[in-house]
Amino acid sequence: MPDQPVPPAPQEAPAPRAEGHSGGGGGHRSEGHSGGGGGDRPRREGGGPGGSGGPGGPRRGGKRQYFRKKKVCRFCVEHVDFIDYKKVEMLQPFVQERGKILPRRMTGTCSRHQRWLGEAIKRARNIALLPFATEL
Amino acid sequence: MDERVYDLIFICRPATPEEEVNKIVATLEHSAGEHGGKIEKTERWGTRRLAYRVSKHREGFFVYMVVRSTQGDLIKELERRLKVSDAVIKYQTIRLDEELKRQQKLARHRERRAGRRPRKTPAAPPQQQVPATAAE
Repeated sequence: MPDQPVPPAPQEAPAPRAEGHSGGGGGHRSEGHSGGGGGDRPRREGGGPGGSGGPGGPRRGGKRQYFRKKKVCRFCVEHVDFIDYKKVEMLQPFVQERGKILPRRMTGTCSRHQRWLGEAIKRARNIALLPFATEL
Repeated sequence: MDERVYDLIFICRPATPEEEVNKIVATLEHSAGEHGGKIEKTERWGTRRLAYRVSKHREGFFVYMVVRSTQGDLIKELERRLKVSDAVIKYQTIRLDEELKRQQKLARHRERRAGRRPRKTPAAPPQQQVPATAAE
């Protein structure tokens, strides 16, 4: 499948759900296109070979460039050196509704900050600032 | 032993009268003084919702303290007192000095790097980049 340069393959639709498929170059046609693929394809054909599409426009020769939003560690951007377990509103986005800690691949947090974050969340749980699990 | 910094949070029953809380804080301060430590800061966060039920309460009165001590015995004593007092339903002590140290170290590193980057020559001593940049 990665060899075929047929039109359906170079669909690099800017999938709204920026999930971390690190698959990259190969024609992972099934991924990230579950819904939006059909809608994007006509636009591409109209654009012609010049690739006037999105940032990862179609290249000649079937080499696809996938455009997906690069996730950056939110803590690195803000130069956070210490994640305070007392600031619940800061931890909240990294916890599911049920109280689970979100994995790195969802949030884009770097490994170091994820480690600190996990610790902070566990501390907050311990003193009843965050739930272990929501009881209903 | 080096001086250590701790975070101490305890939660009182929501129906605890104010003077009861004051009394607990006072006894903690007193025993901190006895053990050669001191309570640097006391914050009353007031009544907050608990993330889960603690001894059948859904709310609690949070008190947050920062304790400095050179003796670990102090923490033992403070926790014993909290355990004994009826009004307190939950408490947590966390040693923070190492993390604060790490935080300062990282901040210092970054500052140094930021100061060094514009000028490539290592002329300026790496310790004080603030005067170096001012001299430019």
